[in-house]
Amino acid sequence: MAELKEINKKLEEIYHKIKAEIQWEPVGHTPMPEIADLRNWDMKLLQTYKPWYAPFCDLCCFCTYGKCDLTEDRRGACGIDIATQQARFVLLACLMGCSAHASHAGHILEVLIEKHGPDKKINLGTSIELEAPNIRTVLGLKPETLGDLKIAIEYVYKEIAHLLDSTAMGQEGSPLDYESKSLHAGMLDHVGMEVADIAQIVGFNYPTSVADTPLVDLGWNSVDKTKPIICFIGHNPATSTVVVDYLQENNLYDKVELCGICCTALETTRYSARAKVIGPFSRQLFYIRSGIADVIMTDEQCIRTDMPQEATKAGSALIAALDKAMYGLEDASDMPTDEIVKKMVEEKKHFAILDPRKAAEVAVKVAMAIAPQRRKQWLTEQEAQELAKKCSLCGMCETACPNLFDIGKGVSEVAKGNYEVIQELFNYCVGCGKCEEECPRHIPILKIMQVGASKETYKVRAGRGPIMDTEIRTVGAPITLGTIPGVVALVGCSNFPDIRDLAEIVDEFARRKYIVVVSGCTSMAVGMWKDADGKTIYEKYPPAFDAGGVVNVGSCVANSHISGAAIKIANIFAALPLRANYEVMADYVLNRVGAVGIAWGAYSQKAASIATGFNRLGVPVILGPHSSKYRRLYLSRKEEAEWKVMDARKREIVETGEPSPEHLAYVCETKEKAMVMIPKLCIRKNDTPQGRAIKLNHYISLYKKYMGGGLPEDLHLYVRRDADIPLVYKKEVKAYLTQIGWKPKEPVGLPTLIGTYPTKVPVDSVIH
Amino acid sequence: MSQLAPMLPMHRVNVLTGTRTARMVEDPAELAKQILKAQRPLLVLGPRLMKINLGGRLLLEYALEIAKARNIPTCATATVKSKMIELGATPDSVYDIVEIIHALKDPEWKGVRKEGNHDLVLFFGFRTDLGNQGLSVLKHFAPHLKTMTLCKYYYPHADFSLPNIRKDEQWKAFLEGLIENLKKE
Repeated sequence: MAELKEINKKLEEIYHKIKAEIQWEPVGHTPMPEIADLRNWDMKLLQTYKPWYAPFCDLCCFCTYGKCDLTEDRRGACGIDIATQQARFVLLACLMGCSAHASHAGHILEVLIEKHGPDKKINLGTSIELEAPNIRTVLGLKPETLGDLKIAIEYVYKEIAHLLDSTAMGQEGSPLDYESKSLHAGMLDHVGMEVADIAQIVGFNYPTSVADTPLVDLGWNSVDKTKPIICFIGHNPATSTVVVDYLQENNLYDKVELCGICCTALETTRYSARAKVIGPFSRQLFYIRSGIADVIMTDEQCIRTDMPQEATKAGSALIAALDKAMYGLEDASDMPTDEIVKKMVEEKKHFAILDPRKAAEVAVKVAMAIAPQRRKQWLTEQEAQELAKKCSLCGMCETACPNLFDIGKGVSEVAKGNYEVIQELFNYCVGCGKCEEECPRHIPILKIMQVGASKETYKVRAGRGPIMDTEIRTVGAPITLGTIPGVVALVGCSNFPDIRDLAEIVDEFARRKYIVVVSGCTSMAVGMWKDADGKTIYEKYPPAFDAGGVVNVGSCVANSHISGAAIKIANIFAALPLRANYEVMADYVLNRVGAVGIAWGAYSQKAASIATGFNRLGVPVILGPHSSKYRRLYLSRKEEAEWKVMDARKREIVETGEPSPEHLAYVCETKEKAMVMIPKLCIRKNDTPQGRAIKLNHYISLYKKYMGGGLPEDLHLYVRRDADIPLVYKKEVKAYLTQIGWKPKEPVGLPTLIGTYPTKVPVDSVIH
Repeated sequence: MSQLAPMLPMHRVNVLTGTRTARMVEDPAELAKQILKAQRPLLVLGPRLMKINLGGRLLLEYALEIAKARNIPTCATATVKSKMIELGATPDSVYDIVEIIHALKDPEWKGVRKEGNHDLVLFFGFRTDLGNQGLSVLKHFAPHLKTMTLCKYYYPHADFSLPNIRKDEQWKAFLEGLIENLKKE
């Protein structure tokens, strides 16, 4: 009785927070879910998509009982086994990622509430009424003001603390429960990201309810090097936006060049039409060492930890503008501006300045003072050749390269006056600088690469934020019926095996009339390629969320708009209530929305968290080959696994035998293989015969293109009836099916996992 | 007893940093002996086999010769199948590396020829990061089988690995020696 009272009290508090009295939709079964509330959904997923653990090492070294050897069924002193230890690591990674975004959201919200007040209305324009699909689905809250977003982020903070607690020595003992917690963290991440980007759109007046956002100049060449240059690095626009304001207020807007690396660059271009994007994270070290920046301003996430040392080497001034990365620098927030400027210019000192107005003023003044004395030219071929002559081809650089490149060959060819190999290597390079660290002759390899770098100016479309409700109404039916063959979301960082892969993937699928969505560093990388007519992907394809469109949603935190779009399809098109109704939304997406994420260059913990959040929502994710280093994938075994769903119309559990989607988190070793996996992972049980035939047409044709002919080995699993067979391959497919003794099967009328596992959600909830 | 035991310092709980590492095999005859001991070996072929040319022959051709020498079943990963067919060979199975590893973890799996799970898995032609992570999966979660690599890099997570070989001629000689030994037994 006392327990029941406690539960009711807790629910009452939650209802108060989410303003349940406002009846925009009935409150679903899981308002503000805690760790265990969606556990059954997770376990259902994990039953099919089992964790695949690839330990980095054999030990656990988390506590003073250890190190503990976990090989050959040994357990650690706390009782942990190797699988659980990997799952714990993955949860920690997801929490790091989730915290990064949540903290970003919390900070920007604080800044913007201070600027506009908590009652500032959330208005995302005339085409967006469903402003916060993740927040509404997860919390059950419809945020109407900046102050409401605070409720959402405080919920995320609380859950993060609980999850982090579970990683302490001597607690959780099940890998599956750790996975459920990782999935929880991933889901929270999408809430945190959504808070951040909605706050930014509202508070900074970013573009919204518009598809055709401006095309922004991209690349080294886009930056006017005759002007003082301020380069923003990181993710949080709290700094760069104030610099833009300062320049405008002081009539200096056209006197100083603003550019950026990584997501801050994307954010700044949403605020200022004059800002440029130099490039993705992978080019950070390269561009810093080029000395292009008179002043570097860092904020948070994805900034090098040796920034002061690198800035000093390049002769750039550095301002650390947020407390998350202060580099041991003196905090000059309370120092008089002129004194800071003097010390930075005359003594070449770097500072942390946590007052954004002061940081902006200092940045501008220092850049204007030091720019005239600085050289911002690339190395000449002759200079590079001289430096390269020291190479003895010892091979140490090759052993240090994470992408296994023969860098020594490139450098030694430069010494001979041949720059072709280094040009090729520059395209591949992920910019970690490990080659240089290992070089016994201290050859400045990244500097030498300047002779191989592209001199082109490219284009990236400024991030547009959420997908519009009007667009969802247009594409909802064709996506769920399968006649738009899928939504392909290329997201995340730039640890690519080859930077050109991304643009090729976008080109292939946009041409095939998939909807292609990009974000973060990937959105820059795809712009760094031109077709035979000299057009970038953004100039080649329309910016609409529609068949054949290429949409840049924005920075990392804008990834929440991709998950949000999937939820919008369930809510706007299918009219399923979303309020605190996570299982219904995720079930809909898993079974009916043919979407797949590609994190081809994933490198950070944030990417792990974002991907895991997509997984909980039922979106499979393909990762690049290096991503096995995340230690965990979610894989099915298509022949052995159960592929049972409830046919909600007949109220029968049906064994479909159809592995759709086949995996939830999957690593591909080559771009070519990814090209074949993408159309397959867009197949859903809900596809109409026409939609399935379209999807199989792409699967077969891409298989033939990249696998050298023939038919996919698992094709029979995806053909339900004759009508599913694409016309163009009818004869060949029918002959194959006859040969293997294929039997037709009935498509499922309304496929759902609800009703196949213990849940409070009734099957009726999925019928619209 | 761990293979590292003789090298382990006392109080390893405090100082151990390494992993249970592969036995480094420098003699092709010894490697051939291990392959011949296996009842149901499997050769998993990676995409780098199509990129590397050794002495005028594609690395994949060496791999196919190894398979042919002892009728070792093959698993083509990534896009290897197409090149195999071009070279007149048909893979016994097509999986990606993470998928075949996922299946191999299951001791009850019937293997690519439905004769039972494999007791020795040879990996050839993978990126070292993905290869070593995959081998780690099997080291920890597939105690019912042994693993071997044929690339010119040392793979700590395998049971048997070649050392790092700087010169391609040495690697070529090793592979030719292996083929010769497999053929003559």
